[in-house]
Amino acid sequence: MAKATFNSEQMHHIACRRGDVGRYVFLPGDPGRVPMIAALLDDAQEIAYNREYRTYTGTLLGEKVSVMSTGMGCPSTAIGVEELALIGADTFIRVGTSGAMQPFMEQGDLIVTWGAIRDEFTSQQYLPLAFPAVPDMDVTLALRQAARERGVRHHVGITQSKDSFYGQHEPERMPVANQLKDRWAAWVQGGALSSEMEASTLFVVSSFLRCRAGGLMIYGGTDRDLSNLLETAVYGLKLLIRQDKEHNR
Amino acid sequence: MNQDGLQYHIKMKQGDVGRYVLLPGDPGRVPVIASFFDEAWEVAHNREHRTFTGTLGGVPVSVTSTGIGGPSTAIAVEELARIGADTFIRVGTSGLMQPDRMTSGDLVVVTGAVRDEGTASHYMPLAFPAVANLDVVTCLRDACQALDVGYHVGFSHSKDSFYAEMEPERMPLADELQKRWKAWVMGGVLCSEMEAAALYVLCSVLGKRAGGLMVALKDTEPEIEVVCKTAVEGVRRLIALDATSA
Repeated sequence: MAKATFNSEQMHHIACRRGDVGRYVFLPGDPGRVPMIAALLDDAQEIAYNREYRTYTGTLLGEKVSVMSTGMGCPSTAIGVEELALIGADTFIRVGTSGAMQPFMEQGDLIVTWGAIRDEFTSQQYLPLAFPAVPDMDVTLALRQAARERGVRHHVGITQSKDSFYGQHEPERMPVANQLKDRWAAWVQGGALSSEMEASTLFVVSSFLRCRAGGLMIYGGTDRDLSNLLETAVYGLKLLIRQDKEHNR
Repeated sequence: MNQDGLQYHIKMKQGDVGRYVLLPGDPGRVPVIASFFDEAWEVAHNREHRTFTGTLGGVPVSVTSTGIGGPSTAIAVEELARIGADTFIRVGTSGLMQPDRMTSGDLVVVTGAVRDEGTASHYMPLAFPAVANLDVVTCLRDACQALDVGYHVGFSHSKDSFYAEMEPERMPLADELQKRWKAWVMGGVLCSEMEAAALYVLCSVLGKRAGGLMVALKDTEPEIEVVCKTAVEGVRRLIALDATSA
């Protein structure tokens, strides 16, 4: 990776420097969820909190692991991921809540994100829209394995990553209402499972940076749903760390 | 469908193919792939679509050539899906795009494809990802490991113009072609071919499974046997996986 000159400096937005974070980083959107994930790590401490970027670092199986909030949307996610990669992170797992797009889905279902719809503009400032927003296969398989072993109902598939929350929830009041509704209908027919706001940029930027990324979402918003999501994600990272050690990755 | 009950272009009906179909581009490679089945026989050959059906461990498996490009690929897959196929594995040659970390002859397990083509956009807006089925690509990767062949996992570039990639400088859009190519390389794309994007997007729309295994070549003669054998081994593994989860 280029720009190693930043090594000793504090990153402009996330206010962390090299050594502050592990190679593995969980990425929730909400700063309020950072301590909840950190509580599932060993010996986690708050490292920094600037703007929407709140960072904790701890360990799992002896490996340094961090949690950092991205804020909502792809613009702040891209900044967060770029700066984390500059200080040594190379594996990103997005965790969060999302809407369900298929009738067979039930509250509490997990979605292992395997591909994202680039219904946003940030990733287009990196690579043309034709480029696939697809996560890393090993990260994805570890997250699926975690859902299987913990016996949580889950689906593997595509998420829609959008720039406008209210454009999805109240399309009829938008000037481009017809376009929003037509595109939504197309995504549903294409089999998209969930809708959120950060995955596509995470996946495209990670491809460009030669980092690994994956995503685990939950359809639902109860405390129980959330703890199920976070516990499964942490379990998935443990599986990945074991595999990485086994294969000297 | 024709009056004789056959699909319009592939000239086959329900029962002529298995649920698993390997998809080379070249009709000439169909018998090569079929030679790795336990047994196989020719079923049809119309236009660029040539089909052999056979078995792997007693399970019906087919191989149909798509012809070159997304348009004829979409026709073949639509018609194959109508007669019972639900799992498609693209097999073929491709141009190597990461010479620093790849060797000519390495295989590429294609998890996603750059939609640098027009057919998939007749199905879904360009923002929709051309992504393979996770189980299919996992079995293809397992096959690469089991047969101990050099392989990489990642993205393919699917284009509509072969000569615009090979000789961009003589094209009216030379600058644009070269800039986009550079972007794909910087994005980490491993190989370039002409069908994966249309296959993957179409299969998402149809609710079918797709994957791809390519041999990446640079300045060497096409070597097709290894990729064909490995892809068939991947199908064997997928059949076993489907049997356990059925």
